[in-house]
Amino acid sequence: MECVVRPCRAEDCVEVMRMIRELAEFEKLPDQVQINDQVLREDGFANDPFYRCLVAEVPPEYRSRDGHTIVGYGLYFFTYSTWKGRNIYMEDLYIMPEFRGIDLEENRMNLGSPGICTPNYAGKGIGKKLMSKIAEIGVENRCIEMKFVVLDWNQAAIDFYQSQGAVDLTAAEGWHFFHFKGDALVRLAQGQTGL
Amino acid sequence: MEINVYLCMYFFQELAKYEDMEDQVVLTEKDLLEDGFGEHPFYHCLVAEVPEEQWTAEGHLIVGFAMYYFTYDPWIGKLLYLEDFFVMSEFRGLGIGSEILKNLSQVALKCRCSSMHFIVAEWNEPSIKFYKRRGASDLSSEEGWRLFKIDKEHLLKMATEE
Repeated sequence: MECVVRPCRAEDCVEVMRMIRELAEFEKLPDQVQINDQVLREDGFANDPFYRCLVAEVPPEYRSRDGHTIVGYGLYFFTYSTWKGRNIYMEDLYIMPEFRGIDLEENRMNLGSPGICTPNYAGKGIGKKLMSKIAEIGVENRCIEMKFVVLDWNQAAIDFYQSQGAVDLTAAEGWHFFHFKGDALVRLAQGQTGL
Repeated sequence: MEINVYLCMYFFQELAKYEDMEDQVVLTEKDLLEDGFGEHPFYHCLVAEVPEEQWTAEGHLIVGFAMYYFTYDPWIGKLLYLEDFFVMSEFRGLGIGSEILKNLSQVALKCRCSSMHFIVAEWNEPSIKFYKRRGASDLSSEEGWRLFKIDKEHLLKMATEE
């Protein structure tokens, strides 16, 4: 099966937004999606875009059960480390479940459970192709590292990333993610932190 | 601009010493200049300056900094990411850190960011207390997010594999 990985175009934002919602469902956090395809389009296609995106597209004869030909996406942006310089950050990597586990080289389907890559098929499919393209973009732009986050229960993803050489910095170095969100951010800006 | 970059380099090294990771600083002043002041800035920096009468013994007038950039969350949109935040030890406890954070959050809101994100090492209790007192939450503990990295050697391997 052919699959083309290409930069997302403005008109692809509707499809990417659909898949963003599917990924949120998979991560068991669907109520947290607050943007829509219009915001995605404005933020990704301005003069200085806030993110970049690749999409995975299949020919019409391989379209999904619901008729989609855009079957995966990889959303990334450039970040910076004070010690090492440019990094590439892979924010989202998603393939529709019915397109996972496809061995693109041999053109065979993995008939195992959707969303799980069996060892024979891991690293040969669309997810790997998307991730490799992001890695290539990182190397071309003199990035020293790629970073991303994974939920601690997503063992299939953790296993796959570790097979590609990824290191868990939370386990190895104790890094935790923090945020100031919504009201907490507003109070901080107004100097009202109750101290 | 060059003076600021030189001072930023000094601070990045001080911060690395504090985090016990001095040997990981490979960035040079030339990289910092190109990457921060070129056509597409990879980072932005805020500095805290004191008047001449309060300069340090070594003659530093810049006593703290924050380095940040903009990132994106496909669920909530634009974010401000705080990469580094440091105040010289002799100037802590004076409200400089709070003032820097306040400025940063104003930048975030002005740029219509929903949230300000950053990472903290789990052993760094003073910093964790500092941030939590001001309303920050630990997403790694609350939601299970783990940070991963892939180094250049493996990126190259992935990019060039058939």
